[in-house]
Amino acid sequence: MMEHSQNRKQMWVLGISMGLLLGWSGVMMLGASHVWANDDMEDPAWVNYAKVSGVSGNINSIGSDTLNNLMTLWAEGFRKQYPNVKIQIEGKGSSTAPPALIEGTAQLGPMSRKMKGKEIDAFESKFGYKPTAIPVAVDALAVYVNKDNSLQGLTIGQLDAVFSKTRQHGYKENLTRWGQLGLTGRFADMAISIYGRNSASGTYGFFKNVVLENGDYKDEVKEQPGSASVVQGVTEDQAGIGYSGIGYRTSGVHALPLAMKAGQPFVEATYENSTSGKYPLSRYLFVYVNKAPNQSLSPIVREFLKYVYSREGQKVVIKDGYFPISEKIIGKQSEHLK
Amino acid sequence: MKFLQRFFASGTLFIWLSGGALACSLLLIGGLLLLIFINGMGYFWQKDLVQLTLKNDTRVLGEIVDTQRIPETVTADFPDGQFRIQLKVGNRDVYGLDFRWVDEADIAQRDWPKDVIAFERREWGNFYGWVTAVWDGDSPLAEGRNIAWDVWYPFLEQAESLHQEIHHIERDVIGAINADMERARLSLKTLELKGNVSQGSTDSLQQDIQKGEAAYQEQIQRLVGLYERLNRYRVTLMDVTGKEKTFPVGGLVKAWRPNSMSVWDKTKMYVKNFWNVLTDEPREANTEGGIFPAIFGTVMMVLVMSVVVVPFGVLAAVYLKEYAKQGLLTRMIRIAVNNLAGVPSIVFGVFGLGFFVYAVGGSIDQLFFSASLPNPTFGTGGMLWASLTLALMTVPVVIVATEEGLSAVPREYREGSLGLGATKFESLMRVVLPCAMPGILTGLILAVSRATGEVAPLMLTGVVKLAPALPLDGQFPFIHLDRKFMHLGFHIYDVGFQSPNVEAAKPMVYVTTLVLVLVVLLLNMTAIALRTRMRKRYAGASV
Repeated sequence: MMEHSQNRKQMWVLGISMGLLLGWSGVMMLGASHVWANDDMEDPAWVNYAKVSGVSGNINSIGSDTLNNLMTLWAEGFRKQYPNVKIQIEGKGSSTAPPALIEGTAQLGPMSRKMKGKEIDAFESKFGYKPTAIPVAVDALAVYVNKDNSLQGLTIGQLDAVFSKTRQHGYKENLTRWGQLGLTGRFADMAISIYGRNSASGTYGFFKNVVLENGDYKDEVKEQPGSASVVQGVTEDQAGIGYSGIGYRTSGVHALPLAMKAGQPFVEATYENSTSGKYPLSRYLFVYVNKAPNQSLSPIVREFLKYVYSREGQKVVIKDGYFPISEKIIGKQSEHLK
Repeated sequence: MKFLQRFFASGTLFIWLSGGALACSLLLIGGLLLLIFINGMGYFWQKDLVQLTLKNDTRVLGEIVDTQRIPETVTADFPDGQFRIQLKVGNRDVYGLDFRWVDEADIAQRDWPKDVIAFERREWGNFYGWVTAVWDGDSPLAEGRNIAWDVWYPFLEQAESLHQEIHHIERDVIGAINADMERARLSLKTLELKGNVSQGSTDSLQQDIQKGEAAYQEQIQRLVGLYERLNRYRVTLMDVTGKEKTFPVGGLVKAWRPNSMSVWDKTKMYVKNFWNVLTDEPREANTEGGIFPAIFGTVMMVLVMSVVVVPFGVLAAVYLKEYAKQGLLTRMIRIAVNNLAGVPSIVFGVFGLGFFVYAVGGSIDQLFFSASLPNPTFGTGGMLWASLTLALMTVPVVIVATEEGLSAVPREYREGSLGLGATKFESLMRVVLPCAMPGILTGLILAVSRATGEVAPLMLTGVVKLAPALPLDGQFPFIHLDRKFMHLGFHIYDVGFQSPNVEAAKPMVYVTTLVLVLVVLLLNMTAIALRTRMRKRYAGASV
């Protein structure tokens, strides 16, 4: 009997503290759901795109599906400048970019991750030089949960323990229920339902590399054919968790703030946090091109990249939900675009 | 006991069983079609815009798209639970997201302001709000909350015609100039490759290129002028929270006042919207605008496939049925053909990529289009290769159906024909094949249905998210089978799974699905109508 009342007392304390936590996270969520004004991301140092003459022909782009929309939007904008240019875009996954560049079936290879050593070697053995990576946008890989989920944040270690069966970050236990992350009520006993990407995707590779430290995904991960379907899955599934680019955020999901280590403050996936590197899962999105050293790019490819780096091009990045890159990096890259 | 035995023997149970199975499948198909239909057709109806005043005094304006019970809110006070509503608030450039959930408990007041305007924009999705200023260049034409519709709406109509002119110049005029220049450039390069560069021959080509360049520059100047006119008039729009945005009238597609429109007005708009989706080109990475190129690509691909698959399948079936000696070998071939029909379509896609695109297409490029290498012409996916891959995939269906049709032709017909002195070939061409025509068309119907809905093999052999030009246009040689194309099935996959703004794109998925189903239906109806006519003509053949 004595024990029983002790238990009950503990339950009370737990309940109240949970209630406080929930209330607090509710406040946090209100803060989190504020939207950053798009104008804040615009850099006054960007230059307007200036048309040049003599640009015509075809460009083929094969690669990342994360960048698929962005490439399409850039293509739409670029064709407004040069109506005589034809751009064909295929986006089936970052892994399709290197073979296409090597075979010459594409001049642009958009990738949501850096090329692996093997892919660079294959390229080098054919051409004798390395492919050139042009960073074109910043993406914060967001971890989404359902909008009803009141979790206030995760550490990378916890994230690893949710997604991975190897737990390279050494989190103490396998996380399979939301209750283990401190959620109460109906969430406490709910099994975590994991959504991820298929293995051709660069997002899959990036997440595996950074969060899982190249460990293995759990077998229960529901692999989705596209980033939007991950978000759709989490929207429909209250117990869902999944990762996708910040550009895919909708009103049905909630992007979790993340912390590198336990005890550190949770960081939201905002523009400032991504460019400053505070957000642990920010990454550059690249377009790879085949550029021989001491030779300039073909005019059409060069102008396309210049367009991407112009005010118009970076505004498109914001429109698509990603973050623009700073003028500093554009300046560094400009030698490739001569 | 005896009663039960009699009951089973009478087959009543079986009638119920088979009838039930039929009813079940009809119900499933009907339900699916209804779901697509309701969701797809609902998209075109303009809903009223509701203005919510929340308890914390903020205001939200948008159309209600969804209502949901908040989980675990059923209490004694709320036996049905509490609800929240999803609003499409638009104004993506201001708010970051198009959609927003609002708890009903937070709402203090609901209004339907009569004067609120909805704008469809070329970029950033819809805007809901009011016009607060109209500008001609930098000088204001009108200011204030009560600007009359007539002050700025004519500019929008004018912008629409300017857009059409720009579109015509960009696609048709410049397209033609470009095609000419490209041809001249290629001939020049071919001459260089062959090594016989004589002064006279290259000069005229060079002149052609220069002439083309001059004509192109002239058109560009025209475009600059048109764009200037497009950007001359600007409007300042204000959203419900009082934030203002100024942009050119040319950036608007259309504007309407949903809250003061009658049902008849909305019906007219409904029809217009539907028509626009069918005939317009996509915008904003396919999430807005129309789906015309996808419809066109799908139909053309199926037609090209039919042209290939029917002769091919019919000839194979005729040999197998009429000429080949029936035995172990033909039986094995039949089994192989039947099995081929069951091979997953992605396998055909891989085969198409390896054989058609890389091997055949690569060789064609080496032989005939070496001047434009390293840019591939046929050595990359395209209309031709996609159609051939699908033809390969559907040929077993046509063979099997044709064989069935041939065996259903009565023996007396053949014997009669042969008895009158016709050769075997003559009776085949004049009597047997025409009688088997309905069977052949059944095969074609099945092939078309399968091919239209197929996506996986196409992704490898030539479908793209956005094709810059249609595979059929006014430039020589008119049919461009080397071009990549758009396809309704792939469009569904792309918009549904890949588009960043998946909430806003969802209705588009239903619309595209609906159109795809309609296209299949239309193609099948055509073939069925043809078959019925054939049957009437050869009435007597028991097919």
